[in-house]
Amino acid sequence: MIALLRIELYKQIRRTRTLITFGVLIGLPLLIVAATKAREKRVGQGARRGGRLFVLAKQSGLLMPAVTLELMSFLFLLIVAAMFAGDSIAGEASTGNLRYVLIRPVSRARLVLAKLIVALALTWAATFAVSIAALGFGVAFFGWHSVVLPSSLFGGTAAAVSTGTLLSHLVTATMYVAFSVTAAVAVGLFFSTLTDSPAGAIGATVGVYIVSSIIDGIDPLGVLRYGLPTHYSDVWSTMFTDNTTSHDLVAGVVVQCAWLAVFGSLGVWWFRRKDIKS
Amino acid sequence: MSESPVAVMGLSKRFGSVSAVNDLSFTVEPGQVCGLLGPNGAGKTTTLRVLVGLQRPSAGRVALFGQPVSFGAPQLLRVGALIETAAFVPHLSGMTNLRLWWEAGGRHLDEADTETALAIAGLGDAVDRKVRTYSAGMKQRLGFARLLLGRPELLILDEPTNGLDPGEIREIRQLLRRLADGGATVLVSSHHLSEVEQTCTHAVVMNHGELVTQGLVSEIVGANHGVYLEVDDSDRALQILGSIAGVHGATVEGDGIALQQESGSRSDLVAVLVAAGLRVETITAQQGLEEAFLDLIEGEERR
Repeated sequence: MIALLRIELYKQIRRTRTLITFGVLIGLPLLIVAATKAREKRVGQGARRGGRLFVLAKQSGLLMPAVTLELMSFLFLLIVAAMFAGDSIAGEASTGNLRYVLIRPVSRARLVLAKLIVALALTWAATFAVSIAALGFGVAFFGWHSVVLPSSLFGGTAAAVSTGTLLSHLVTATMYVAFSVTAAVAVGLFFSTLTDSPAGAIGATVGVYIVSSIIDGIDPLGVLRYGLPTHYSDVWSTMFTDNTTSHDLVAGVVVQCAWLAVFGSLGVWWFRRKDIKS
Repeated sequence: MSESPVAVMGLSKRFGSVSAVNDLSFTVEPGQVCGLLGPNGAGKTTTLRVLVGLQRPSAGRVALFGQPVSFGAPQLLRVGALIETAAFVPHLSGMTNLRLWWEAGGRHLDEADTETALAIAGLGDAVDRKVRTYSAGMKQRLGFARLLLGRPELLILDEPTNGLDPGEIREIRQLLRRLADGGATVLVSSHHLSEVEQTCTHAVVMNHGELVTQGLVSEIVGANHGVYLEVDDSDRALQILGSIAGVHGATVEGDGIALQQESGSRSDLVAVLVAAGLRVETITAQQGLEEAFLDLIEGEERR
């Protein structure tokens, strides 16, 4: 298993596409931080996604990772997760190399698990890369300060949040955001076992999240929405806007674990039975 | 269960409503170089894919070295396979591809026969280039290098000379002979019937997923009974041949005699002619494998 993990990781990190992806993941925070700095005098007018955090962001570079994660988590990190997972088996099938891997006495279940673990590891690494890059650029542009949450803005209690607390929130938030696309990795891997087209597997995975978001917006569905992979995706942001940790973080982790268990198992089950025709 | 390197027993494989292979049985014994022949769609590749554990049989069994084949079966370590075109991770070098493929089986590259494999590949410094820069022929040669890493006892090859130039095809033919001489067993499917005739000792002929015939290539080639021979005295030979049971239609053709032999072997004819004091310069089946193959397939179609 260790050998398979090492081989799969090696294959992925030696891809030009992976290096470009990580380059973009590090470069985008610079753009976001620079844009925030440029609009510093106009904050308070923004009400779009990330608006609350944008309002606060000028106080400290320690908030920039939160702003960046808020902006990048829904689509960009989702696509990255879908890419690593959706390409893992289908990509190798499309080049024909999969049949040669499976001609070796290699357990198919172990191979799928190795690819799942590597896709998860790369997705986590991608999220941490965003967070760390945003922290570096944020501190460079806005400094290393504690933050005062003004009561007048959001109706909460005015409170100072120390740098230590912000760092603690940052680690928790980054881990949560990384984990919040776990379902995408599991779904992507499952689709990757179904098709020899990596683009198809990646597209289907993103489609699942888009459909999930749409269904999540239909309030009359009530509790049915709680099992959707996107339902708890941004509950972490209250740590930065209100200095409170939502109990929904746990619910979000449970939902992601459930999707991981179901679609990870489905992927292994299907791949162990699949005829390789590529 | 038979200890034969390859045993196919009543194999059937269906894809939905399409039957790719139907009740196919044959064996390949140690040291044989067996050609798997058939027109497109005969089920050759499907049979080979089942043999190397890429697909499950719908019915029947396949075994390698006496052990049933399943996905990831341990006896696959004793097999070198080339299924359709050679394929690799394109963004890695040829050498890295060989290393990763070998290590995926849980073994260190030191245990592999890298020297022989690289000598066969003959890629020189290009082995350190990314595979995406390779020509089709270079990939196919690297594919041969990969399958030889484990000093395989059985080679399963599906159209192995696709993409190779005539010189490379001859090298592969010589390689297969060397491997067979060294005790390896080879099962090879090919459309190049002249190549099979020169390389293979045995053949299995398939059509529409079913077995048409199997046996020695020489027997299959001679199955339509046409014989051509050259002797020092053709007139006397014609008289003698006319008196042999099962021989008919003997006529002078060019410098020799053409005839039909319904029973016995060509060596029987030689024995009779030599016993009569004639010198036999040449004796051969009057057709090649290609004609025999087409006769077999057309005969099967008419049924």
